Amino acid sequence: MKEKIREIIDKAREKGRSFLLEMEAEEIFKLYQIPVPETMLIEKEEHLISSGEKLGFPLVMKIVSPQVIHKTDVGGVKVGIKNKEELVSAYKTMVEEVQEKVAGAEIKGVLLQKMAPPGGREVVLGGLKDPTFGPVVMFGLGGIWVEVLKDVSFRVAPINEIEAREMVNDIKGKKILEGVRGEKPVDFVALCKTIANFSRMVYDFPEFKEVDANPVFLYPEAILCVDARIILE
Amino acid sequence: MNKISLEKIHEELNPFFEPVGVAVIGASLHPEKVGYGLVKGLKEGGVFSRPGLKGFSGGIYPVNPKVQEILGIKCFPSILQVKERIDLAIIAVPSKFVPQIIRECAQKKVKGAIVISAGFSEAGSEGKKLQEEFLKIAKEANIRIVGPNCLGILYPPNNLNASFGLTLPYTGKIAFISQSGALADSVIDWSVKEKYGFSALISYGNKSDLDVPHFLAWAALDRNTQSICVYTEGLNDGRLFLEIAREVTLRKPVVAIKAGKSTVGTRAVSSHTGSLAGAYAVYQGAFKQCGIIPANSLRDMFDISKGLALMPPLKGNRIAIVTNGGGAGVLCADALEEEGLVLPAPAKEMIERIDGSGLMHPAWSRNNPFDIVGDATAERYKIVLEEAMRSNLYDGVIVIQTLQTMTDTVKDAEIVVECFRKYNKPVITSFMRGQFAEEGIKVLENNGIPNYDDVQEAARVMGALGKYGRYLKEREGK
Repeated sequence: MKEKIREIIDKAREKGRSFLLEMEAEEIFKLYQIPVPETMLIEKEEHLISSGEKLGFPLVMKIVSPQVIHKTDVGGVKVGIKNKEELVSAYKTMVEEVQEKVAGAEIKGVLLQKMAPPGGREVVLGGLKDPTFGPVVMFGLGGIWVEVLKDVSFRVAPINEIEAREMVNDIKGKKILEGVRGEKPVDFVALCKTIANFSRMVYDFPEFKEVDANPVFLYPEAILCVDARIILE
Repeated sequence: MNKISLEKIHEELNPFFEPVGVAVIGASLHPEKVGYGLVKGLKEGGVFSRPGLKGFSGGIYPVNPKVQEILGIKCFPSILQVKERIDLAIIAVPSKFVPQIIRECAQKKVKGAIVISAGFSEAGSEGKKLQEEFLKIAKEANIRIVGPNCLGILYPPNNLNASFGLTLPYTGKIAFISQSGALADSVIDWSVKEKYGFSALISYGNKSDLDVPHFLAWAALDRNTQSICVYTEGLNDGRLFLEIAREVTLRKPVVAIKAGKSTVGTRAVSSHTGSLAGAYAVYQGAFKQCGIIPANSLRDMFDISKGLALMPPLKGNRIAIVTNGGGAGVLCADALEEEGLVLPAPAKEMIERIDGSGLMHPAWSRNNPFDIVGDATAERYKIVLEEAMRSNLYDGVIVIQTLQTMTDTVKDAEIVVECFRKYNKPVITSFMRGQFAEEGIKVLENNGIPNYDDVQEAARVMGALGKYGRYLKEREGK
């Protein structure tokens, strides 16, 4: 498994990239049993509809281009694609917009992902290298919470599931995850397992400068990381 | 990595605390010089006196080629002229002479050196070179170094003031490890006034050799230390710290404060996580991870350390409050809830037994907090406290006393002491301090019951006993 990941890293470096493409990052997440949505890489427009139907609507489309890190800013993400017609038009608009906004962007294709079911509670997972402690892992409430309240907790990686549970308990907004007004609690067991796996990944690869899983959706019986980003040293 | 041996570190550091013979290199006749304060501190315990202050009873050897005698002690031109054994050298000469002095210490087979002098790594590249030079000599001769640029070490149980700290604090059960020397001095001043005792006070400055993890390991095995508190501005090796702290917290509780909450790291930020990681937040996480209780302020740190030194950790999260003041009880209950502790209602039989005594005020609360009403006598405290302490409904008890005209504060205190001895369950008091409650508080303090002026502080300390207890339970479970 580690060799496979090193290959991905080496390949990116050879091409002069200081970050991994989302599909590469997702592949690494999968190898560490961090749940990511079902994804297909579409390199040719003619495969768009058949792949879309195979995954099932609604879908999310994301641009694949080595020149684009922040996809949303340049029109490189489209959510809630409900049918074939929307899929085709989303593709055309996205390719045009990205090419217009990022001069010389090389478009490798698009990623199609099955859209995360509604009702997920949003959290973030992160990894980075602290100058004193080395690889550390971060957990916090996602969405607007992470920006404004900075309600996050850190641990030195790697950690086990019990330590991950302590980390989740650190968060002031924990009650949101436990469920308010009759809402069911999220799947804490899956969450803690995922945090522990994530921390192991961050610890195993000193090549990773920063890792982001944002957002991560939590459900009463599942967890899904819908965006994976890895920046290399 | 090799398994860290606390025993080995303790043995290596012990010459700093229980030395046979101490030399002061750079000793001086002039009271305005550090070299004078060092000799006076060793001989008499400190430049500032306090009741019961005593000096070091082992050999003291001032070194200064230009002086015959300091404070009645013979002075030597060089450490090599001393025939007796010397374990510890305290060095207060200008930085450029330090490498040569360490060389002489090596020849004299000194085991540890406290380098008080400044002008090393903190003072640019020249200083950094000097530091590396003397460290190399020390390493080859197996001399461990505290400092440079530090206050030094104070070990009250041995009457050893190997520092230019004001005076030896009263002997207590708490070891304080402080990166800052100036802060340590102010803490000494405060502690003497408050009669807050220390088992050791360590100011380690530039941490060129020995750093927090080493002192933690020493304190974990020190027979006079019951709890440890740490003030740090940053560690050299975070992973070593974690590894040692994990071992230490299995033996003794540790409380820590990290300075620098406001400074967010200056590293280039290209992700969410990067923008959220201040060093402070990472330290908080690391502390929790190895069972260290993070403190919010110095005062908070010393409050918690005292409670952890005197009381066993909580076995659960259920607390009883016994109070003769309704308001104080509610404030305390609020603060306990914030600490994640709960206040279960008493069992029916318990209420019946208390009522059955025929001694209670008819309006007592019959609930938790156990409000035994303002006119409560010591007898009423005894009945209710006994019930709360022996009940398996409660893991710990907070006893609050507001002073009323009929309050017998000494008797109330004696009842708390007696109950703690009988049941050995964590009990924290908040006899609210003032001119007249002092007598009772003295009884509590002299008998090892941690008392806090403010009910919220008491709750906060109970919270720390809970956190430490929960951590130990989890570690045992693994």
